This record gives sequence, structure tokens and C-alpha cells, in this order.
Amino acid sequence: MKRELNRRDFLKMAGLLPFGLAAPRLLRGLHVGPVLQAKSQNVIVVVFDAFSALDISAYGYERKTTPNIDRLSKRAIVYHNHYAGGNFTTSGTASLLTGVLPWTHRALAPNSEVAEPFATRNMFSALQNHYRIAYTHNGWAYTLLRQFRNEIDELIAREKLLLGSLDTPIQELFKDDEDIASVSWSRNMKVDEDGYAYSLFLSHLYEDLQKRKVAKYETLFPRGLPTTGSDNGFLIEQAVDYIESRLTAIPQPFAGYFHFLPPHYPYRTSQEFFNAFDHDGLKWIEKPRDVFAGRESKNLLRKRTEYDEFVLYCDREFGRLYDFLESSGLLENSWLVLTSDHGEMFERGISGHSTDALYQPVIRIPLMIFEPGRETGINIHDVTSAVDVLPTLAHLSGEKIPAWTEGVILPPFSSTIQIPDRNIYLARAVKNDPNAALSMASTMLVRENYKLHYYFGYPEVSSDGLVRLYDVKSDPEEMTDLVQSKPDIAAELLNELKAKLQEVNAPYL
Amino acid sequence: MNTQLNFITRRYSKQGLWSLFLLCAFPLHLWTLILTFRDMSWVIERTNLWDAIGVISYGMVFALAESIILFVMIALLGLLTPKQWDTDRRVAFLSLLVILTGIWGILRQARYVWEWSLPLPLLQFLAQSDHPFRFLYVMYLAVVVPTVLLPVYLFLRSKKSTQWMKELMERLSTLTVFYLVFDMIGLVIVIVRNLS
Repeated sequence: MKRELNRRDFLKMAGLLPFGLAAPRLLRGLHVGPVLQAKSQNVIVVVFDAFSALDISAYGYERKTTPNIDRLSKRAIVYHNHYAGGNFTTSGTASLLTGVLPWTHRALAPNSEVAEPFATRNMFSALQNHYRIAYTHNGWAYTLLRQFRNEIDELIAREKLLLGSLDTPIQELFKDDEDIASVSWSRNMKVDEDGYAYSLFLSHLYEDLQKRKVAKYETLFPRGLPTTGSDNGFLIEQAVDYIESRLTAIPQPFAGYFHFLPPHYPYRTSQEFFNAFDHDGLKWIEKPRDVFAGRESKNLLRKRTEYDEFVLYCDREFGRLYDFLESSGLLENSWLVLTSDHGEMFERGISGHSTDALYQPVIRIPLMIFEPGRETGINIHDVTSAVDVLPTLAHLSGEKIPAWTEGVILPPFSSTIQIPDRNIYLARAVKNDPNAALSMASTMLVRENYKLHYYFGYPEVSSDGLVRLYDVKSDPEEMTDLVQSKPDIAAELLNELKAKLQEVNAPYL
Repeated sequence: MNTQLNFITRRYSKQGLWSLFLLCAFPLHLWTLILTFRDMSWVIERTNLWDAIGVISYGMVFALAESIILFVMIALLGLLTPKQWDTDRRVAFLSLLVILTGIWGILRQARYVWEWSLPLPLLQFLAQSDHPFRFLYVMYLAVVVPTVLLPVYLFLRSKKSTQWMKELMERLSTLTVFYLVFDMIGLVIVIVRNLS
């Protein structure tokens, strides 16, 4: 749904401005809802990559994966039905940063960029009166940040917070094609990952040198050092420490976007959390193998356990960052957002998020907003989307809300009443030409309790596409497909989704 | 510098060095091509055809770089061979070493690619022994050492060995020249990818 700031909204906001300037301290004492904020407040967005809401104890997961976030969520506005814009880094991050859905920003393929107009229409341009700083471990997210670099005052080089490795010269030499160069380099040199590499001789020498380089961390990370997958290792601690040092040094108001790779695969937690959930008796719900099930479908419970142990590590570091912001006084004047770009799944024969499926674990993500001075939490159960974050932050930090965003100001900050049956969409179309209408895609529509999946164009599904309908309130595990038992609802939602697709495809037909 | 070059040119002919380089490049390129084409579907599944071509292109460029490094090392190693050997015999001998090392290098990794395993009775024997790893290493040595030493011994003893190696090199060189063409195409693709 496209939301523009019309004249009437503007007048309402203008009328509220004096109240907004005076009210926060008054209302804080009364522990009531937030208000329109005065200008000059900082914004800090913390993204943990591939962070599924379903594996967070603050969202009801039976494993205690996030003791720090649980503790802090009691002081936060917690969104319980928040959806990513896509189900992998590029599309999900682009939606978060541009405030529009993948079919609009067109960053459809892995490691692609957004359509040219969005190079200057993003979170950083929206927060233009702030000092804008950004960092990510994730190479694909970094591609987007580099595209937005003209809108960012300080883009911290990705390599800066990776542990120096033998891969760094390759990344620097091929920095304009870093991702594919790194993949090939990894396949050439990293003989330990599969037992073989393209290189017959140097790969063995490389592995030996690399092992010596990170030997001192071996005892700290029993499953190996966290890595960016195809290249070098990193420690979240190092990134958090650096970010803390920058936040105290840069001018205020600032807007920081910090996108950490964990708990993204490979799931390599620190010694402190190693085997924390081993044989803990987690109730495992057997689900039917999906039409999109991949080859990597074995040991899903084991993988989920390792993922959950990695989440513990993220939780500790988020807690540490929060405590620093609080003790340094920055939190008194900063909006802190905790979210993700997409989720992760371990069911139906699917492991991770390289899948065309759109089940809840891979798209339902956390969103918590920590308001300056807030002591009591608010739980929001409305269905919300990643595209709502940008307009909300612009609103809260006193900046103009961009006209292009497809999101809305999140409750409870909106001065207008939320539409109860608002449609939330999501799309994945990795093989689609970004300059063509969507012909092979996974799409989703959520309205109130119902969630419709619609897959079309894939060889795995029929020419009519594949439709599934779930009541995610009464059936959060998506076990019972309601397409047959509730045909009217399925047809209504499918028609709406198809109408939306027709609308977004129109410019490309 | 000139003295060093003279020292090398006294031990090698230009044609000999080129043949030796092609021999060094052969096993490295062969293995890279086998694995890159094996990976292609995996990469396309995750990205697209252009990126898959990119992965292969980088692979070829890295293989070329490794070939040059291996060639330099082998050429330097050749300086330790007897001075009285003529350049053809030296190159033939070094080529034999490259081929043997290449075969074992490929076999070492191929067992993971195609998931080869030791025969079951042998595994049972190792499992029951007190020192399985010691036995395993002895077994490897018992296989690897003769397969290297025997050809080397035969080469040194036989007068025709240089001619055989030369003929083999000629055949493999023709194939390797094709690989070098792939390298050049790969290099162009890498440059284009980094410019676009």
C-alpha cells in the first residue's frame, strides 16, 4: 500500500509539533505511548542477518535463545507479526533500506542493486539531516550500501572489521566484482571445506597458512571462526567495539545502519554457547517435505540447534551494545531499532534461506523499537512490514516522510488510525529479469490472520501456479492448507494478489 | 641480471621452457575445468549464468597464475639437475616430475569429489589394529613412493625416455594451448566484470 504524506497529514503533524517538542519527558513519567518526536534525535538500526523471529525466545520460542533481548524487550515496542520484504539478503535489505517492496526496488537477484531511482531514495537520503554511518559484514548488503554511498557520510569498509586474512588482496583487487571473485577464490583455495579445490597445490599451502593465522581463535570457536561464507573470519565483538567508538566520536544527530552477518550460516558460535542446546529435548514438529525442498535436507534439527546457539552469541553482543548505549547516555537521545533482513528455516526438507518457499520461519523477522527513555514495553500484534521501518524512522527523527515509500508509520506512532485489514506483501523473484514483468516468482499476501502463498512460473509447480492458504494465528506452524476448506477466502486473497501483480507489472509490459 | 639470465639459458632452451610451462599448466587447468563445470549448476541455481561464467573465468585466471608459480619453482628445481644433461633431457625429467605430482595431486582430491573409500576389508583391518593411522601412512607410502621412484628410475636408466617424454609433451602441449585460450577469454571476462 502506497502511503504519501498529504496536505491534511502535514497540517496534523504541524499542529502536533509544539506538543511533540514538550511531551516526551512529560509522557515518559506517565508511561504512556510515544509521541511525535522533536528533531535532532539519533537513529541506530541494528540488523542481524537471517534472524528468524521463530527462534527468538522473546517471541515465544521455547529455547531460551535471547536472554538479553528478552530482558530488553520489556522496555521496547515489540512487533509480533513483522514480515521481511524478501526472503534473502538482497531483496530483504533493499526493502528495509528503500521502504519499497522488491517488485518496486527491483533488487531481485542475489547481490544485485536497486533500480537507479532508489540509489537516491533510501533510508540515508530520508535521514539527510543526520550524520549517516553504515557498516555490514555481508557482501550482498555491502553492494547496496556502496550503491547508496553518495547518501552516506561514513561507509565503513567491509574489510575493516573482518580479521585480516589471505583473502583481503583478492577482495581489494576485484572490489567491483568482489562477490563472484570471492566465490571463485574460495572454490580455488579452500580445500578444507569439501576436501577438494580447483587449485591442486597452492590450496594446501593456503589452508596451512590460514590455519596458522586464526589458530589463536580455535579454542574460542569450537566449530570454527565465524566467516562471511566465501572469505574471511570476523568477531562480532570487534565490530560492536568499533561501532561503539565511532558513535561516541561522530557528530549528532546521527543515523547508523549496522548489519551484522550472524546468525547467518555458517553457524559458528563461541565457546560460551557451544552445545548449549545439545539434547535439550526440543519438541520437533515433523512437517511434510515441500515442493521446493533442496538437497541440503539432512540433520535439520542439528542445524537448527547450531543456529540457535549462534543466536545466543548475537544476543550477548546486542545486550553489550545496548548496555554501552545506555551507560554512555546515547540512548537518551537515540531511537534504537533491532530487526533483520529475512529469516532462516529448518523444516520441510529446507535448510537456510536459499529457497523459493515463503514459510513463516524464513520471512517472519523481529522488529523492536527502543524509544529514548521508555521504561515499559508495548506489544504490537498488527501485521507490519519491513517497508514500514523507513517512514517510521523518518517520522520519529523529525525528518520529512518520503513520498516514494510503500510503507506506513508503524503503530503506535501513527497519528492516523491503522487500517485493520491492511495487505502485507512479499516477493521473491531471483531468476526474473529486473527489467521485465514478474514471470517466475514466490509471492505472499498477509491480511489479518490469513496468509496466502502464490508461486508461479517455476518448473516445480503447475502452469496455474501453486496456491496455499494458512490461518497463521490459529495455525502458526502452517500445517493445514485451507485452500480447499476456505475457497472463498483463498479466491479473494488470490484475486487481490493477482491484481497487485498486474499493477506492479504494468510498467514492464 | 644478465648473468642470471645467462645461467638459466645455459640450462634451458626457450622451446624447452615453453614446453615445461605448458606441462605445468596441463594438470592444473584440467582439474580446474573439471571442477568448475561440476560447480556450474550449483552457481546458476544461486545466481545466474553470467555469474557462473564469472566463477569459471576467475578459476581459469587463478589456474594460470598457479601455473606460472609452479613453472618458476620447477624451473628453479631444474637447476639442481646434473650440468651435463642436455636441455631436452632436463625438461623431460622435470616434466615427468610434474606429471607424477599432478596425478597424485588429482587423486588426493578426487577421492573427496567422487567419495571414494578404501575397501571394506581394509577398513576393518585398520579398525582392528592398534595403530590405524600408522598403518594407513605406511600403506600410502608403500603405494606412492614406488609410483614416483619407479618412473624416475626408468627414466634415468633408459636412453629412449627423453624421446618418449618429448612425444608425450607434444601431445599434451597441444591440449594445453587450448586451455591457455580459455585463460585469455577468462581474463577478458574478469576485466569486463570489473569494469562494468
